[in-house]
Amino acid sequence: MVILAAAARQPLENQVLRAMFEARKQVFVDLLKWDVPVLQGRYEVDQFDDAHAVYLIVTGAQGQHLGSARLLKTVRPHILDTLFATLSASPPPRGDDVLEITRFCLGRNQSARERLVTRNALVTALAGYALEHGIATYTGVAELAWLQQILAFGWRCRPLGIPKVIDGRTLGALRIEITPETPALLADNGIHTRVPFEPADALEAA
Amino acid sequence: MTEAELAQALGQISAEMGFRFFALTHHLDVRCAPQPVIRLDNYPRDWVSYFDDNKLGASDPVHRASHVTSVGFAWSALPKLIQMTQRDSEIFERAERNGIGDGFTVPANVPGEANGSCSFATARGCPVPEENLALAQLVGAFAFEAARRLWRMRDPERATPPRLTDRQRDCLIWATRGKTDWEIARILGVSHETVIMHLKDARVRYGVTKRTPLAVHALFDGTISFVDILKS
Repeated sequence: MVILAAAARQPLENQVLRAMFEARKQVFVDLLKWDVPVLQGRYEVDQFDDAHAVYLIVTGAQGQHLGSARLLKTVRPHILDTLFATLSASPPPRGDDVLEITRFCLGRNQSARERLVTRNALVTALAGYALEHGIATYTGVAELAWLQQILAFGWRCRPLGIPKVIDGRTLGALRIEITPETPALLADNGIHTRVPFEPADALEAA
Repeated sequence: MTEAELAQALGQISAEMGFRFFALTHHLDVRCAPQPVIRLDNYPRDWVSYFDDNKLGASDPVHRASHVTSVGFAWSALPKLIQMTQRDSEIFERAERNGIGDGFTVPANVPGEANGSCSFATARGCPVPEENLALAQLVGAFAFEAARRLWRMRDPERATPPRLTDRQRDCLIWATRGKTDWEIARILGVSHETVIMHLKDARVRYGVTKRTPLAVHALFDGTISFVDILKS
């Protein structure tokens, strides 16, 4: 199941979001060694996890976190324009129909096959969310180690500038165009997992 | 875009970045590969023939190194990535005699598909253009994806690797961990015959007759991963 969540004022009080922040800490801090803030030694939460962020969260049969992504509005401060502005050759795409994908997270404790299933559900959800909400463009900053995989999803993807080595990681900025053809492009690459969408209000009861 | 246009574009941008040669390829022995194979290059013909005659597609040191990293690397960094053998040094000497100098390789590993890479090489005696390596990495990744889309369009059926069922995959993972069929049957709670059948069906799907090539193929195309096998 994919849960669509808009952040609450107190994100750690919500069980689904808390599980996501914990998984993010395990992936981005413990595994990938990113230098980002950690709350209570368990949760990776930064200044962009505010009431303006939207989350897509893939959960398992028992409601556990499997994968998640955070969407930031580009009309507000976001990762590309505040932290990595040098990665974009011209001013980064910005607008009500442009969102930035950040913290694309596949939880640990999954086998290679399970991770692919989760990844596909998340990518499908990203395309579906964009089409439902009039989003034409996603932007994102990616480690180049991931680039080949992001391109191989089959969607239309373009670089925004020349990658740079920043704190030992080679990073690049990308734009992804979402059109009514996108689901078919993804499906050609085996990404057409049908996932039930659960709207944000279900989260309030959690 | 056609294959020829992609090769032309790659040749042009390679030159602009300060390289003489490019080679975009899947890491298979191109003469007997089961899947459609991607390969575009402008290497000297003598070198390409030598490479294929000696079936270097899977054992070439640059290819091997690109399986242990997902970011681009200069060939001078090879000894840090893999154990270099006498044969590897001979391959480099041979390449140099064919006019190939230093290089930079971008690994192109797509889960569920054969590994590949896009390499850029200088002419003998010319240094790698350090200032353009981040750009080369970007070009390599996009070029490989462009080639991948061309090849998929050409033969969409064969572009996807064989798929194993969950049960076949479970049996294979236990087999790669060294368990016998009988042990696997006990672990999975199925009959001995069922395990034999699953592994046989899996071999048929990959068109191999023995267990070791089955494991290697399934590892190679990402159906199973080293993490699956090695985690306790």
